[in-house]
Amino acid sequence: MLVSKNKGTNLLRSSEKSSLLRFLALYFILVTMILLLLGVFYYESQEKLMFSNQRTVLSNYANKQVKALKHLHNDFSHHNIYPRSTKFRSAIYDIEGKKIFSTIKHPEVIFDKEIYRIGDSLQFVKYLDDYYLGAKYLFIEVDEDMTWYKETMSNILAFGTLTLIVLIIFGFFFVRIFLRPMRNSIMLLDDFIKDTTHELNTPISAILANIEMMDTSIMAEKNQKKLARINIAAKTVSHLYQDLTYLTLSHNRESKDEWIDMKRLIQDRVEYFAILAGAKKITFELDLKDSAIFIDSIKIARVLDNLISNAIKYNRRRGKIFIVLRKNYLHVQDTGIGIASEKVSDVFERYTRFNSSEGGFGIGLNIVKSIIDEYDLQISVESVLDVGTTIRIDFLRGTLDG
Amino acid sequence: MVKKIIFIGILGSILWADGGKLNSYERNCIPCHRYQPASLEKLFMEYLKTYSGELSLKGALKEFLKNPTEAESLMNDKFIENFSVKDRTKLSDEELDKALDIYWNLYDVRKKLK
Repeated sequence: MLVSKNKGTNLLRSSEKSSLLRFLALYFILVTMILLLLGVFYYESQEKLMFSNQRTVLSNYANKQVKALKHLHNDFSHHNIYPRSTKFRSAIYDIEGKKIFSTIKHPEVIFDKEIYRIGDSLQFVKYLDDYYLGAKYLFIEVDEDMTWYKETMSNILAFGTLTLIVLIIFGFFFVRIFLRPMRNSIMLLDDFIKDTTHELNTPISAILANIEMMDTSIMAEKNQKKLARINIAAKTVSHLYQDLTYLTLSHNRESKDEWIDMKRLIQDRVEYFAILAGAKKITFELDLKDSAIFIDSIKIARVLDNLISNAIKYNRRRGKIFIVLRKNYLHVQDTGIGIASEKVSDVFERYTRFNSSEGGFGIGLNIVKSIIDEYDLQISVESVLDVGTTIRIDFLRGTLDG
Repeated sequence: MVKKIIFIGILGSILWADGGKLNSYERNCIPCHRYQPASLEKLFMEYLKTYSGELSLKGALKEFLKNPTEAESLMNDKFIENFSVKDRTKLSDEELDKALDIYWNLYDVRKKLK
């Protein structure tokens, strides 16, 4: 199974990414609201401008209509045809609001508003000083020319979108500037770890090789205990070295996936950590069935080492570690201090440690998670404070009948 | 002779009957205004131009008929100089209202505009 590299060194932790996203979302909402508000103001100003222009035109129509009404009023005994125009429609109402005559499309007139929109028309009202034909109110109605509306809306959309894009780009740069101190500190830590790692390899290898070569049978019991302690310390540093190497260097190497016999690997790693577990009188209880997984051997070793190492590190003295392996899953359970439920979701965060008295950088489970994600496996954590923690890995893909 | 008496009697009763059919407006308004230069229609249009609505017009006209003054009259000075302000009406409110309703209905522009 070929697995593409998608875990390049990303200095921003997921919490920082979510902060960035939340800030951008908030910024986006605020900017959108401000732009909408500006859009509304612009629309209203354009509408006022249109009303102002139309008021002049409709006022001229009204004056012409008043003249025609006056003429009709004075000559009403001979002539009773209401004056009409092709440019506008009109209606007259008496002082009591009763209609006298109307040619308008929308009879729902408003008496106390000089100019207003009604349906697809504009209406303008003129108050007459002399009530020709009894008319106190003269309404002039024209079909609304929607050109201004189309122009205004397209301006709002075009300028609004452009401004929004520019402001979002600015926002993105602002966030990067705000987060730079945080990024710098993480970079500094990563650089420090990377530099330190290079210097650890040779002395650790030398210590472990020499311990292996020592003939303990001729040693005094007191010296054997001292050597065992040196061995534990060296293996602890070696484990840390392996993690740091993986974190800083392994991303640059291509995965070499192969079928791994999980039962054998677990037995091997348990044997490796036996001396560390023995120091805290911790015992292993293994329930292993045959199972194989198609994965890079170094990566699955990092997963197992970190799960076992944590189970030892956060276990109580004389505690137990249960490792269960089945065809499709593996779980590692300890009888340790456990994790508070509200902190369980943070266990995979880099540099997260739940007990400052224990050593380490808090990178182990972050490495585990990155490998699990790379191979599309599933990992779950269950923990009860002061009872223990169980970590389960499901091999959804890449498994082979053992 | 008897025939003449009967004919005169019938004619008289017909004329009396016709006279009885005249409404309040015809009985009380037309007879005087018939001989004035300003027709009732012209007066109506003048009142309409000044008071606009039906209620306003009838109210103002009723008030003027009950208490006519030079200040309240819509007629010009020349007309008042020649004909003076009319006498106070002796009609009851009910009679006046009936006459005004008839007057309004007769010249209401709503019914005439086309």
